[in-house]
Amino acid sequence: MLLEIKDVTISYKGVPTVQNFNLTMEQGQICSLVGESGSGKTTVIRAVLGLLAGGGKVTKGDILFEGKSLLTNTKEQWRNLRGSDISMIFQDSGAMMNPTKKVGAAFVEYIRTHEKISKADAWKKGVTMLERMRLPNGDHIMRSYPFQLSGGMRQRVGIAMGMTYSPKLLLADEPTSALDVTTQAQIVRQMMELRDEFGTSIIMVTHNLGVAAYMSDYIVVMKQGKIEDEGSRDVILHNTESAYTKTLLDAVPSLGGVRYVE
Amino acid sequence: MSNEKELILEAKHVTRKFPASNNRTLVACNDVNLKLYKGRTLGLVGESGCGKSTFMRFLVSLDTPTEGEILYRGKDITKLKGEELRQNRQNIQMVFQDPGGSFNPKMKIRDIICEPLLNFKRIKPSEKDATARKFLEMVDLPGDFADRYPHNMSGGQRQRVAIARAIALEPEIIVMDEATCALDVSVQKTIIELIVGLQKKKNISIGFIAHDLGLIQSFAHEIAVMYLGNIVEVLPGADIEKNAKHPYTQALLGAVFDINMDFSKKIESIDSEAPSPLDVPVGCPFQDRCDRCMEICRKERPILKQLEEGHEVACHLYRKD
Repeated sequence: MLLEIKDVTISYKGVPTVQNFNLTMEQGQICSLVGESGSGKTTVIRAVLGLLAGGGKVTKGDILFEGKSLLTNTKEQWRNLRGSDISMIFQDSGAMMNPTKKVGAAFVEYIRTHEKISKADAWKKGVTMLERMRLPNGDHIMRSYPFQLSGGMRQRVGIAMGMTYSPKLLLADEPTSALDVTTQAQIVRQMMELRDEFGTSIIMVTHNLGVAAYMSDYIVVMKQGKIEDEGSRDVILHNTESAYTKTLLDAVPSLGGVRYVE
Repeated sequence: MSNEKELILEAKHVTRKFPASNNRTLVACNDVNLKLYKGRTLGLVGESGCGKSTFMRFLVSLDTPTEGEILYRGKDITKLKGEELRQNRQNIQMVFQDPGGSFNPKMKIRDIICEPLLNFKRIKPSEKDATARKFLEMVDLPGDFADRYPHNMSGGQRQRVAIARAIALEPEIIVMDEATCALDVSVQKTIIELIVGLQKKKNISIGFIAHDLGLIQSFAHEIAVMYLGNIVEVLPGADIEKNAKHPYTQALLGAVFDINMDFSKKIESIDSEAPSPLDVPVGCPFQDRCDRCMEICRKERPILKQLEEGHEVACHLYRKD
């Protein structure tokens, strides 16, 4: 068992936002959390990484990573975990980077907080990672500012940073929502390859059921902070009894699907 | 059906060049020819930076092309000035991508919806409340929303208000720039249904920008695919899945995630990214990403050729000689 979220309730300033959330994940599994904006998807994965914003707290239940509770972690323990065992990629990796720093400077700093290594070696390691993530000419990218890169390239940089230490668990918060359809397809394919290459488990947060269905083994549908429906991909797509899941499925634009005009 | 179509707007050889550093020029739109018909939707599809927004901004006179003309009911709107230009704005309205950013945060919804009407003296200030309610109900919102501020509403509700403001002047054409892409999938569906319903009721022509072919094919009568400033294919929306000919259109189709797709198949999509519009290659703009590139594609730029009624494609693969 890689990750166990047991009956978790998360509150912001005393108001419960996510209630009684349960999820277990095995090594190498890909799981998606889907739901509309404000349904608490991001809150769940932020809780896993101990990054709840604005005074959010886990008020009930427990989150176990490889059998150990994450909730009692000290700052030091978090530092050892984040970026090495568990990583996260965000909707826009460009916004997470310091805009006044070149990608290389940020990447080298990131590597050097995780291991004792010279700047030159860290640079080389960064370039290797970028090239593994299909960013040819990694050296050039290291010398660029985030705003000089396209959205897809920035997202690849974010994935490269997250994957530097082959984390066991990757948390992805709407990683493709800000991208073009073609770039989205590339990033999705690349994230699927991470599992084959590194054995990484992935929790995807997305509102696009099409992407979720393509990527995941297991899908959790959330509504207003609660689990509305869950199951394997086939169950969710074809055998669900939840009316809410059906409306969500119905809303996904589909080629050759509903046409409103003649 | 095709002979009933009434042409109301036509773009002829529209080109827009922007000056760039080191004496280079960026060609955002290159010889674009498109037609908009009464009561029909034209979907403009392409990746970021391909010039689709630049083109649509000409229609609403937010920018003017370097070359070419745009004929609205036979009159070139790119040359309009002063009062004539102001009056023309009533005919063509726009809905922007981010409904949060296109409202003044300090104005109430009532004032937002009625401002265009007051500008053109269509209503008296005393009629504001009733008018706002009427339009809010038209977009399926409660009339009480007139007293709200934009920040008190969800993204989907704000987008409805934006649509209400756009239809307030009863324009003939509405341009929608990725009007649903900032919204949740389920909200997106309701907005599309609203747009289609309004179009039928009021016989409005819509120019809709999108990058998702799955979405656009559900309600566009005609779809134009744009790549690096060039229109590469124009085809009827109904049969895009079967009839798409251009390799780029097919690549876009391959990138659509569909819940009914075969999951064991790897998603097919072009690997590379679009080249910078500053150095568009000689010949076909798509040559470097095309897996069916031939020798002639490197030398000669393909032009749009008609394959059948309403279907044009710019690709050397379909030359008839």
